[in-house]
Amino acid sequence: MHGAGATPVTITVATPGIGPQAGADAASIQGRSIWQIAWSRFRRDRVAMACLILLALFILVAVFAPIICSWFGVDPYELDPTAIDPDEAGKPIGPWGGASLAHPLGVEWGTGRDILARLLFGLRISLLIAFTATFLTTAIGTTIGIISGYSRGLVDSAIGRMMDLILAFPFLLIILALSGALTERITALGVPEGNASRITYLIIVLSVFGWPYLARIIRGQVLSLREREFVESAIASGAGTGRILFTEILPNLWAPILVYATLTLPAYIGTEAVLSFLGVGLLPPEPSFGVMLSESVKYFTLVPSYLFIPGTVLVILVVTFNIVGDAVRDALDPRAGRQ
Amino acid sequence: MGKIGSRTGIAVVAAAAGALLLAACGGGGSSTEGASGAASAAPSAAASEAAGGAGTPQQGGTITILTNAEQLQTMDPQVIYTGEDLAFLGATIMRSLTTYQMSADNNEGTSLVADMATDTGTASNGGKTWQFTLKDGIKWEDGKPVTCADVAYGVSRTFATDIIAGGPTYALVYLDIPTNEDGSSQYKGPYSGEGQELFDKAVSCDGNTITFNLNQPVPDFNYTVTLGFSAVRKDADTGAEYADKPLSNGPYKIESYQKGKGGKLVLVRNDQWDPASDGWRLALPDSWEYNFGLDEAAIDQRIIASAGPDEYALTNGLTTASLPIVFDNPQYESRRIDAFDPYTRYVAIDTVKVPNEKCRQAFGVALNREALRTIAGGKYAGDYADGLVKPNIGADYAPTGLWEGLLGQPVPDTGDAEFAKKLIAEAGDCPTEITLDYAQSADADKAAAVWVDSFKAVGITLKPNPIEPGQYYGIVFDPEKAHELITAGWGPDWPNASTVIPPLTTPNGGFDLSRWDDQAWNDQVKAASQELDRAKQATMWQALNTDAAKKMLVIPTRFGRDQRMAGTKVGPVYSWPAYGSWPYAAMGVTG
Repeated sequence: MHGAGATPVTITVATPGIGPQAGADAASIQGRSIWQIAWSRFRRDRVAMACLILLALFILVAVFAPIICSWFGVDPYELDPTAIDPDEAGKPIGPWGGASLAHPLGVEWGTGRDILARLLFGLRISLLIAFTATFLTTAIGTTIGIISGYSRGLVDSAIGRMMDLILAFPFLLIILALSGALTERITALGVPEGNASRITYLIIVLSVFGWPYLARIIRGQVLSLREREFVESAIASGAGTGRILFTEILPNLWAPILVYATLTLPAYIGTEAVLSFLGVGLLPPEPSFGVMLSESVKYFTLVPSYLFIPGTVLVILVVTFNIVGDAVRDALDPRAGRQ
Repeated sequence: MGKIGSRTGIAVVAAAAGALLLAACGGGGSSTEGASGAASAAPSAAASEAAGGAGTPQQGGTITILTNAEQLQTMDPQVIYTGEDLAFLGATIMRSLTTYQMSADNNEGTSLVADMATDTGTASNGGKTWQFTLKDGIKWEDGKPVTCADVAYGVSRTFATDIIAGGPTYALVYLDIPTNEDGSSQYKGPYSGEGQELFDKAVSCDGNTITFNLNQPVPDFNYTVTLGFSAVRKDADTGAEYADKPLSNGPYKIESYQKGKGGKLVLVRNDQWDPASDGWRLALPDSWEYNFGLDEAAIDQRIIASAGPDEYALTNGLTTASLPIVFDNPQYESRRIDAFDPYTRYVAIDTVKVPNEKCRQAFGVALNREALRTIAGGKYAGDYADGLVKPNIGADYAPTGLWEGLLGQPVPDTGDAEFAKKLIAEAGDCPTEITLDYAQSADADKAAAVWVDSFKAVGITLKPNPIEPGQYYGIVFDPEKAHELITAGWGPDWPNASTVIPPLTTPNGGFDLSRWDDQAWNDQVKAASQELDRAKQATMWQALNTDAAKKMLVIPTRFGRDQRMAGTKVGPVYSWPAYGSWPYAAMGVTG
């Protein structure tokens, strides 16, 4: 049986038991590609569609954060000393963290900066870092996984040991220890100093430490795929390695790749949060979703909304990504979940 | 009381704009001691004027101190430089020649009394020779007596600078021992022995009397000996490891010490301690405990709830989030403290990178100090500072008028962008891009945003440079790595501005982050340091303080305050003015 190809096949069906004129009426059925089939399956899952729309909304909101903030008249950097009380150690005035028309979601303790604006801008950076890191991790992991699984032998062993080495490293310690030196290197390479370099540093370390997880999964898949008949027949018909990898094998890998990506992205948002808390994140006064979350614990007794607002956003993000991820896997390969 | 240091230091203090506690604390209040160290016998440490307090402290029980830090900085007598540590370890395991009276009163609580010595010392030779006589009956925890030689040996360890580092260096500065050309002492410490005969001439023992020969008149040397001059017995010295397991000569001894989250320091009674030889320590609890690595928010919740063993607990600070809860509630009144801490918070301006005085003044004028104060805790963070010297030091403080007209016109607490721009225009060559170094924390990051804002308003791009707290001072002391603005804090080592102005403004002072080096200035400072007439000395310090403020060697941001809380059954509850700490030597459980 032919593996998942990319080109649609046109089949003319002759209805059995009917004469030649029936052949003229026979409909020509357009065969559908794997993507079209998957999409129609996905569309039928109402919950997943809702989540997809929600995700799209999140992304739009993050991308257009400055515009949305100007609609509400809020700014993430502007201090508002009138909204906080210096005699109460900087506590916001009023319930819900000082929520008012000027500050729909309240203000930050001690500075009076607007929470809604900081949430949107912080989310923007978090999503930027998470998306880019996920993309890189996926690209690197897939490529190396395919090479490793297909090559076997010495190359596979070498790559395997490299993956073991990376997985064994104490991730947090390395990130903290190397942040200063590597960020300087990045600046020296021409990336603008300051936050641009720091974001680049974060993306690079997340990718460098993240790809082995996907690579192992991909390698396992490739190892089993290369034994299948369609690959053998492709080899027999003289196809080059590159063509085999990209036309025969890669298309069968989309399911695990996409599932991994949709699970990794929210994990990276969480990791960025931890790193920001540890001081490797963005320079002030840039807002950070992660710092908002970690700082909120301190103020929980007096201003619980500091935790609930970013916490709810994070929960929604993680849940929608997971649902979409599951639905994508189901859509691409309905039997995968049942094996 | 030295510098404010890293996050791993003790206090979880609300005021966080780059200010972290590390170094020794000398405390405020006016000193009533004359230069010759009037002999006053140690009064019994009955601390009565407590600000509240839940009943009379009694014998027995265990008092526990809850902290976020993962260990005590050090327990080595020659290295301890944090006020809270000096107070705690001084009350429990480490006696010194002199100490401060145990009292809540600002004047009494900072007056010198005798501890191991029979009196507060005798000066002669114009203040260049000092003598102390040890009391009888002072013993180590293994029963052997504490001798004059032990005190001399302890002092000599300061000279082993490769092993003993980070502590007070007064022995190096004041003892009459020749130095090499590069400024290092010719005595290399007891482990190497090189130059031992030079040390033995400077510090000598005759029976129970120890004599210090100094290289300059030091009118307040009897205060100096509270820092780094405690005894160590030679055969018990373990070098660098002594910091974790010192031998005790106080009412308690170390039972166990484990660092890190969940770790503890446990002190139990030292049966060799003779109360008759020690009128200063009440030694009421049966044991003391320090619990390390606790989450700050959790500490606050526990001490507020004060349930179970937390009834006998203490904390060294409160987070800003808890301050409204604790201070708006009258039910906590008897066990909360809100007092001046010993420190002045400031931001040093590197005078080599910014040599133009008007530029520096412009920086100070541009800064929105009010927003900084609010972030640090508002009224709980302290008052606006007008110079390096803090009012609670006593006689050496006089208002400098820095923000009231010293610069030509008053400067509002929110800063004055127009005035700053005017100064910049007059200066002509101010940098348009500068960097602020500070120790990273969430609150310090918020404060950095205020700096960026304030300077943007006058056309200067300010770049915040957060530095990992553990490495902070290592980095900013390197002129190559430090930048134009360096956040710091400092408190006097004892109630004399001789422990503030020289360290911070002279090149050999040890903490001159402003890199100010002016010969005329240095001469004036030296003259004030050696002035034997205390009243005259006070006016000299006041003048120098005002001059430093005008030159804007630093931008003074705040005279810090400290909030802390005790459990329901610990007392007395007050801030000991000597070190801005708990009055450990007088504390006990109250029910």
